[in-house]
Amino acid sequence: MRVKAGILIFALLLAAVPSTGLAAIGTIRFDDKIESMKKAGVGPVMFPHDKHEKTNKCDECHPKIFKDKRGENNISMKLNMEGKFCGSPNCHNSPKAFPLFQCASCHTGVKAVKKN
Amino acid sequence: MKASSTCKHLKVALLFSLLLIFGFAVTVAVSDAESVTKTKAKTMVAAATQAAPAPAKKSEKAEAPKIDPTDTTSVIYLDTAGKPAGVGDPNKPPSMAYKAGRGWHPQALAAQGLPKDRYGLIDWARIVRENLVKPRFSLNPEDDEMPPLKMDVLITAKGDFVNDVIYPHEMHTFWLKCEICHATVGGPIFIPVKGSNDMSMVGIVQGQWCGRCHGKIAFPLTDCSRCHTSPKKAASK
Repeated sequence: MRVKAGILIFALLLAAVPSTGLAAIGTIRFDDKIESMKKAGVGPVMFPHDKHEKTNKCDECHPKIFKDKRGENNISMKLNMEGKFCGSPNCHNSPKAFPLFQCASCHTGVKAVKKN
Repeated sequence: MKASSTCKHLKVALLFSLLLIFGFAVTVAVSDAESVTKTKAKTMVAAATQAAPAPAKKSEKAEAPKIDPTDTTSVIYLDTAGKPAGVGDPNKPPSMAYKAGRGWHPQALAAQGLPKDRYGLIDWARIVRENLVKPRFSLNPEDDEMPPLKMDVLITAKGDFVNDVIYPHEMHTFWLKCEICHATVGGPIFIPVKGSNDMSMVGIVQGQWCGRCHGKIAFPLTDCSRCHTSPKKAASK
C-alpha cells in the first residue's frame, strides 16, 4: 500500500515537473567541502538556481557541465579555475559573468580581512 | 616677353621644388618629427619666394602621413568601440574597464607588437622573458644596477582543493625595488619572513597583499592559473 502510494506521488511529481518548467529548484547549498572552505575563510556557496534559469536554458548546463543529480558533481575551485563547472569558458571565466576571484559573490560568510 | 619669363620662372620653381621634395624624402627617412616640421617650414619659405608653391605642397602631404597627437580623430586614439580613448577610470581594475567596453588602443598596440595574454592585456612578464624591452635601472646614471633576485617562494593555498602558488621574485624584482613591497609607507605589504604573512584570497580580492597591484596595474586576478600553478598532493582530484 505504502509503496503504491509512493509510486503514485512520484508519478504525480514527474507529471508536475514539466508543467512548472523545473522552476522549483530554488537555491542549492554547496557545502561538501566545508572543511576546506573554513580554512580558506569562506562559507558555503548558496547557488541560486532560479537566477540562472532566467538567463540560461537547461541544456546549456545540463548534463554537459553539471550532471543533474545532487552529489554527482565534485565541484572545487581548482576545477573551476581549470574551466570546468562554474568556471566554464562561457560562464564565470569570461566577461559574460563575474569572474571567479570575487569570492563573496558566491560564498557566504566572507568577512572583511584586516591585515595583521 | 612677360609670358615667356613667367613660364621660365615656373619651370625653375618646379625643378627646385622637385629637388626639395627629393631632399625632404631622404631626411624624413632618417630624422624625427621635429626635423620634418623644420624642412616643412624651409620648403614653405622657399616656395613662398617662388612663383609656384602649389605642386610642392601637394606632394608633401602625400609623402608624410604623420599622426598628430592633438588630433582626436587620429586612429591611434580610438578604443575598441571606435570612440576616442583615454576616458577609462584609472582607479578601477582593467577587467572592469574591459567590461565597460573600454580597451587598449588596438591600432597602437598592433603597431607596437607587444605580446598579450589571453585577456588581451599586455603580457609584461613575457616581454621580460623574451628580452623585448630593456628599461634603464634608474634615471640616475650613478645608481648601481641591482640584478633581479632569483628566489621562488612556495605559498600554500589555504583551501585543500586549490593549487599552491609559486611566487617568482625574479619577475617582480625586474620591475620593482625590494622596498616597494617590503618597506612600504604605512607598513610593508609583505613581511620578508617566511610564514609571517597570513595571506588569503579573500584579503587579496579586497586589495591586500598581491591585490595591492594585481587587478589594478598588474594582470587581473581573473587569471587564476597564472599564479596557482603548483598542484597539491592531497587534492589529486
